Amino acid sequence: MIVVKDLVRQFKSGDRTIKPVNGVSFELDKGSLASIVGKSGSGKSTLLSLLGALDKPTSGDVVVDGVSLAGLPDGKLTEYRRRDIGFVFQQFNLIPNLSAVDNVMLPMEFSGIRKAARLQRAKELLEQVQLDPEKHSRRTNRLSGGEQQRVAIARALANEPKLILADEPTGNLDEQTGGHIIELLSSLSRDHNTTILVVTHDRSLAQKTQRCFRLQQGRLTEEVRTGSRR
Amino acid sequence: MSVLARSVGNAFRNKIRTAAVVAVLALAIGLALAMLVANQAVGAKIQELNASVGTTLTVNPAGGQGFEGGGEPLTTAEAETAASVANVTSVVGTKALRVQTATTATSNSDSATGATQQTGPGGGFGPAGQQATVTTNLTAAVDAGTLGNRNNASGNTGSQATRTLPITATGIGAEVDSTGKALEITNGTGLGDYTASEAKALMGTSLAEKNGLTVGSTFTIQDKTFTVAGIFDAGTTFGNNAVYVTLPEAQTLAETPDELSTMIVTVNSMENVDSTKTAVQDALGTDKADVTQGQRNLETAVNSLDSVKNISMIAFIAALATAGIIILLIMVMLVRERRREIGVLKAIGARNRTIGLQFVLESLVLVALGSVVGAVIASLASGGIASALVSSNTTTTAATTQRGGGLAGTTPNGTVPGGGMPGGGLSGDGQGGPFGGASQLLTSVTANVSPGVLAAGIAAVFTVAIIGALVPALLTARIRPIEVLRGE
Ligand SMILES: Nc1ncnc2c1ncn2[C@@H]1O[C@H](COP(=O)(O)OP(=O)(O)O)[C@@H](O)[C@H]1O
Ligand SMILES: [Mg+2]
Repeated sequence: MIVVKDLVRQFKSGDRTIKPVNGVSFELDKGSLASIVGKSGSGKSTLLSLLGALDKPTSGDVVVDGVSLAGLPDGKLTEYRRRDIGFVFQQFNLIPNLSAVDNVMLPMEFSGIRKAARLQRAKELLEQVQLDPEKHSRRTNRLSGGEQQRVAIARALANEPKLILADEPTGNLDEQTGGHIIELLSSLSRDHNTTILVVTHDRSLAQKTQRCFRLQQGRLTEEVRTGSRR
Repeated sequence: MSVLARSVGNAFRNKIRTAAVVAVLALAIGLALAMLVANQAVGAKIQELNASVGTTLTVNPAGGQGFEGGGEPLTTAEAETAASVANVTSVVGTKALRVQTATTATSNSDSATGATQQTGPGGGFGPAGQQATVTTNLTAAVDAGTLGNRNNASGNTGSQATRTLPITATGIGAEVDSTGKALEITNGTGLGDYTASEAKALMGTSLAEKNGLTVGSTFTIQDKTFTVAGIFDAGTTFGNNAVYVTLPEAQTLAETPDELSTMIVTVNSMENVDSTKTAVQDALGTDKADVTQGQRNLETAVNSLDSVKNISMIAFIAALATAGIIILLIMVMLVRERRREIGVLKAIGARNRTIGLQFVLESLVLVALGSVVGAVIASLASGGIASALVSSNTTTTAATTQRGGGLAGTTPNGTVPGGGMPGGGLSGDGQGGPFGGASQLLTSVTANVSPGVLAAGIAAVFTVAIIGALVPALLTARIRPIEVLRGE
């Protein structure tokens, strides 16, 4: 259960102050799949980075399973990212000179999981995201965009996080490949009971999530669904 | 995939750049190691020079050194006078004899008048001078060769084809060679009491071998039978063609009791050598004795070697610092370049210390490669670098150092034949002086790229590299995880 309370993040550029996140509050239940839509530059990435402790809010708080991020020192925030969060980025952000398996093993190595165990789990995860087995040991800069995003999703799942934050995961992919990634995310949310929050301006993706939020002028509003879910 | 494996992998991500970095590092590290090797070699040489000359003064009769000049011989009484001078720890008298193989002595006797024989000055061995010529049944271990024949011929109008060379026999007042250096006895014992007359002798290895003698064997000098008490190794062909007997024994053989060829005066400390030299000179009188100081002759050589040592140390530190700065700059560049990737690692939960360690290890991989290539460069270059340093520094002092004294011949490390004649002064050889020490240095420097010094140098390189790499490693700690979103 994730509770976001009155979150504010402001940036100073010159003598101007902008507040892409200006008083955002919402709650997400465990295992839910939700999306955030909004115009480019509306603050979606900023909000996501606050939820994933990549950045610190100017004010407000994020409470994950009763633990407030606001009071945590940097070391604990690193641990929070390692244990509780899985990131999926628009530009994949894999380590280019490492193989697919090595990339997926990386978060497990940081958690101190034994090598044999993490190798086995990495292979299982790559199978789950349907990466061709013969590409498991291929360097990720030699994989296609869709394949890279599958590896990135497997890496996000590596430490069985409570929350997966995906920032425009289909933004760099063609429509068909993007569709596959969306399918993958929603099936993972179902099968693993993992909470997934997807930022997208892809209407069809937003349509498929249980809940959909719109970020506008720093405020978050939930869109009321009329049609069927999923 | 471990941190180490990732670091190694990262070091080779851009192979062309890695090669360039390793090449530049290797140059700096190679220079540093070469300088360290040169520094060590020069340091060792200085120590050797100081140790070999140490705190001894040589006293020769006034107006005469060895075989040249004239004047009155030194006496035992003068040795006592010298011994009573302040700061003098010991005075060792020597009495040099020129020993001819019986047959040669007879054939030469027409030209040799009385007890002394004047043979021309020359490089191979010094002629008699004040040395008494006596006969022996020993055969010299050195073949006459061109020098020997020329030397002998100069005192003889006859033209014999080959000759047996004389053997150096010296009476010594302590267990030291004719230059005051301690004798290295390899077999048997010393002579015990060097102030007593006894028919025992110490013999050089090659001379003993040539005559088939071992410890306990006997031979004759002037028809008197001597027992070989010990075999010594002087380290040189010339030095090993020698016999030592006790001082009184030599004086008896020469029929000149109380006479000394030279005195070796040992001073209690280096600082007192100068003042003691003057004091001994005053005590003996300038008309009676010439006091020469081995150290004086070497001072300029040692000083110039000292400056070489300092230059090489400064160059070592500078090259080491350069290597450190190269690492620092390269790593700062890499950290900046991989800002976003560091953000990724932080976003997926890497600790600061894991990332820092990865960068330090990566720099160590580069340094290790640079060290390997650098060590090769150093092995090839250190001889040349050392000789360049030494030759540019010693040519200016060559003129002053050539005024070699009696001790000069042994100064390099006792391996230079030539100027080391008993009491020999200006032997005209030039090779045996401290100048010879400088040229000897070159060969010993090239031979001295020791694994120990290289290891110490590489340890220093790694220490500097770790310091250089820590700065960028700490910089990675300051990179915020939000960097992962840069450019998105
Ligand atoms: N570090 C920063 N410093 C200054 N302004 C920033 C910074 N990060 C984001 N912004 C600004 O905040 C606004 C929201 O950015 P972002 O969250 O990336 O939008 P979105 O992801 O919705 O496109 C933009 O105007 C952007 O320029
Ligand atoms: Mg964005």
